[in-house]
Amino acid sequence: MNERQMTCILCPNGCEIDVRWTGTPTDETIRVEGNLCPRGVGFALEELTHPKRTLTTSVLVRGGVEPQASVKTAAPIPRESIEMARREVARVTLDAPVAIGQIVLVDAAGTGVPVAVTRAVPRRATERSAD
Amino acid sequence: MSEIYDVAVIGAGVVGAAIARALSRYRGSFVVVEKGHDVGTAASGRNSGVIHAGINCLPNTLRARFCMEGRALLQDWCEELNVPYSICGKLVVARVPEEIAGLEKLVANGVANGVPDLRIVSPAEAAALQPGIECVAALHVPTSGIVSPYALTIAMAEDAAVNGVQFLLGAEVTGIEPEKDAFAMVTSRGTIRAHRLINSAGIHAGRVARMLDPEAPEVYPCAGEYLILDRQVGERMKMSVYPAPRVANAGLGVHITPTTEGNILLGPSSEYADDPETVCCTRDVTDRLIDEARVLWPDLPEHLVIGAYAGVRSKLTAPGIGGFSDFTFRTTPGIQRAVHLLGIESPGLTAAPSLARHVLDEFTLPDRAFESKPPEELRLRRWPDRFDELPEAEKVRLVEEHSDHGDIVCRCEGVTKREILHAVDNPLGVRTLSGIKFRSRASMGRCGGGYCLPRIVEILQEERDWSPDDFVLRGPASPAFAGRLLEEQHA
Amino acid sequence: MPESKRCTDVVVIGGGPAGLAAASAAADAGAEVVLVDRNPRLGGILNQCIHDGFGLHAFGEVLTGPEFAERCVARAVEAGVDLRPDTMVAELTPDRVLVCTSPGSRTRLEAPSVVLAMGCRERTRGMLRIPGTRPSGVYTAGTAQWLTNMANVRVGRRVLILGSGDIGLIMARRLTWEGAEVVGVVELLPYPSGLPRNISQCLDDYGIPLHLSHSVTCIHGTDRLKRVTVARFDDNRRPIPGTEFDIACDTLLLSVGLIPENELSRRAGVVLERTTSGARVDDRYMTNVDGIFSCGNVLHIHDLADWAAEEGARAGRHAAEYAAGAAPSDRLDLIPIEPGPGIRYTLPQAATRTAKRLLVSFRVVEPSDDRTAEVVAGDRVLASLTLRHAHPATMAQVEVDCGDGLDVDRLEVRLR
Repeated sequence: MNERQMTCILCPNGCEIDVRWTGTPTDETIRVEGNLCPRGVGFALEELTHPKRTLTTSVLVRGGVEPQASVKTAAPIPRESIEMARREVARVTLDAPVAIGQIVLVDAAGTGVPVAVTRAVPRRATERSAD
Repeated sequence: MSEIYDVAVIGAGVVGAAIARALSRYRGSFVVVEKGHDVGTAASGRNSGVIHAGINCLPNTLRARFCMEGRALLQDWCEELNVPYSICGKLVVARVPEEIAGLEKLVANGVANGVPDLRIVSPAEAAALQPGIECVAALHVPTSGIVSPYALTIAMAEDAAVNGVQFLLGAEVTGIEPEKDAFAMVTSRGTIRAHRLINSAGIHAGRVARMLDPEAPEVYPCAGEYLILDRQVGERMKMSVYPAPRVANAGLGVHITPTTEGNILLGPSSEYADDPETVCCTRDVTDRLIDEARVLWPDLPEHLVIGAYAGVRSKLTAPGIGGFSDFTFRTTPGIQRAVHLLGIESPGLTAAPSLARHVLDEFTLPDRAFESKPPEELRLRRWPDRFDELPEAEKVRLVEEHSDHGDIVCRCEGVTKREILHAVDNPLGVRTLSGIKFRSRASMGRCGGGYCLPRIVEILQEERDWSPDDFVLRGPASPAFAGRLLEEQHA
Repeated sequence: MPESKRCTDVVVIGGGPAGLAAASAAADAGAEVVLVDRNPRLGGILNQCIHDGFGLHAFGEVLTGPEFAERCVARAVEAGVDLRPDTMVAELTPDRVLVCTSPGSRTRLEAPSVVLAMGCRERTRGMLRIPGTRPSGVYTAGTAQWLTNMANVRVGRRVLILGSGDIGLIMARRLTWEGAEVVGVVELLPYPSGLPRNISQCLDDYGIPLHLSHSVTCIHGTDRLKRVTVARFDDNRRPIPGTEFDIACDTLLLSVGLIPENELSRRAGVVLERTTSGARVDDRYMTNVDGIFSCGNVLHIHDLADWAAEEGARAGRHAAEYAAGAAPSDRLDLIPIEPGPGIRYTLPQAATRTAKRLLVSFRVVEPSDDRTAEVVAGDRVLASLTLRHAHPATMAQVEVDCGDGLDVDRLEVRLR
């Protein structure tokens, strides 16, 4: 009997669920407890068989008040695509001003999921401090 | 370099810096050669910061003589340079009646050295002088004091620098060749030549001396570990508190010493080490520091320890042999105008200005070869007042005058952006994080630089064009980072 | 020196999730509110927390820290809060005068209500007294996170992390993603202190070893960090001789605890609670100093920014009420709320007799399963909460319906 605890992130309840399964996890072999709704079962199954992850990283910004903007994949992508998506993002440089939600990459590693900015970066004023 | 300096000083600790300051009052070409990337990086920046009264020095020794001469001169120099110091006094505490004899010995010692106003007081009087201390009797030493040892060293060195003394940092002396009428020092930054030589290399002075004189004695490293308490408790210690001596010459026991910045130091310990470069704090010793200090100060707030450091004493007495050794000025027959200062341990800090005077008068410039500069030619570089310690009205005025004083970078110590920039723009050209720390006080607070380091990184990148690789802790061998995270890709 | 004058009803110190929520709630309740924050950008610690997991409870979405911050800021703007970034409070007096400093300006502010929301700092190597040399390359995890996510700095290449709290785990993944070799996480306790999902997503996913019941006994390297000695520790938190081994690394990140940043509070005469290192407060989140309130991480360390924000909102409402003329503490009868068996601390530490509803936050002493937390007055159980997985790292909350008011001498939270 295998067991794992996880937090279901499908809704604000954020149920802490206990997942037990024998052999290969399928909707037959899996038993989920602690979920307030049935969607938790589907979440648990996907997490065990085709885990997806959200990539959160940063990109360079030119001419901004900070040198980086933080970014994320707009939805979780297959775990095995994370590294390729990360490398694609690392090649991008944006010009300030950068807005939250601005698309950095239309399609991360062929997953069809875009990468978007999560922290706005205003343009830097050109004057330095007075003294 | 083809230039031959008039005088070269090896070692920019507190003694080398004092010598440099004394030299800078003369017309001549002077250089200080220092292996560290700043001044005061070894024992001078890792001690208790005590201005000794003279009760611990054996009478009729050089240690006693230079302690008593030095302490007066030191206070004058601190006034001139605006270096923080305080004659706060000391209590030497007997915890059991058997220790009172030891206090009486200290009194006799002190009186023989000319120390005034020594009194053995009752527990009630001791408590009135310093609340919270447990004792059966205590020796009150009103003329004992504290000084900021790194501020003193840096201030003297920078004062010397603005008056023409050159400082060659990051230059380790690996060999000395006597030439006709000069010495050629082989260093990691090239060969430096000088007519006269002063070796104030501290823990390395023996090794340096033997480059010229194979008979010069060994200098043995003896480590001392310290703990630092949060400034929050600083006001509880009005003066230093030492335990009464138990065994002669076994070091001074665990002291409780306030600092000029409001922290409290516990220590030092005393144990011989093999290699001064790897001396560090250990679990056993720091636990012992707390246990022993708690005997004197039962309410010691152990949870308010914020840091630890270890310094290395220069001892001429070998491990296991012990005994007493005095300050040693070694010259070698046949080698003129080179003097080695050996075994300058406690009270070396207190003695530094008078040691400097003595070295110049007796060894280096006894022939009055150099003209004194008239006062109007001297520039004075004072240690800056700390913004955080100024009265509120003054702070408001300063912020109006310099907007960067309104930007507080180190929140634990209240250090402003302007103070950070002043620290990095120092006349010695020191560009290390440690150099900024000791000059500005930033990162010496309870959060250990967790808040201010990123802000210092931002400020120096923005205002002085530093890149991540420019940030080093103490020198090129201790980079803070590993470059940039992301580099622009040029497709 | 400019004269102090009452120019506002509520001043909130700190623009992180708790402070922003407090300011918004106070403004919604009709108060004039000024919020000061020392950074040029509002949002506090959220700006460097570029990972997601925020906002699930507050906004019904999974957001990254900066996105959560943006929502909180937008809310405060909408509520009409006077937002003043780049402003640090240098002094706070017991009669609620603040000295505020900004580039080019040092002024005073005064208000009947002040909300402390300054957040926390990290426990350091110095406080732990970790023996060894003091090379470069030793950082607290939060500082490393700032450098990595805000300053475009690579902190090191071969990283060991001390402490299995969430910050350390998140940084293990972040640095791995950015090409560093994270050689392991070392945890003193026999169980990890971070969320299970972070152990899974940050360590297991990348094969990063977790050494439980281990800690660092020595740091080596005279210039830059070279290696670290690690040993197994016993139940009394002492290293077991003979279990030492060295781990080569050039960077050590410390994720060994957060400490509420109460320096201003102490100097204003606020009494702190030893177990939380934060202020002692009543159910209005008011401290022992009339008109000074506290919320968020400066009050007690939270696991989720969402909860810190909720707490901030409650404190902000009370701060507004107080500024509008609610009764000072000495007119109120306070009932102590104390931790009982199994409970490490409860917050608030006191309740006003007229409270209609009490929300008591608490943490348990050690992990266990299938427990019940009860709020009791003597033998009477006033409220209970089932805890399937009780863990010190997970703060819990139990709500007490006080009806027409509490007629008891003392309340206790205990674990059965």
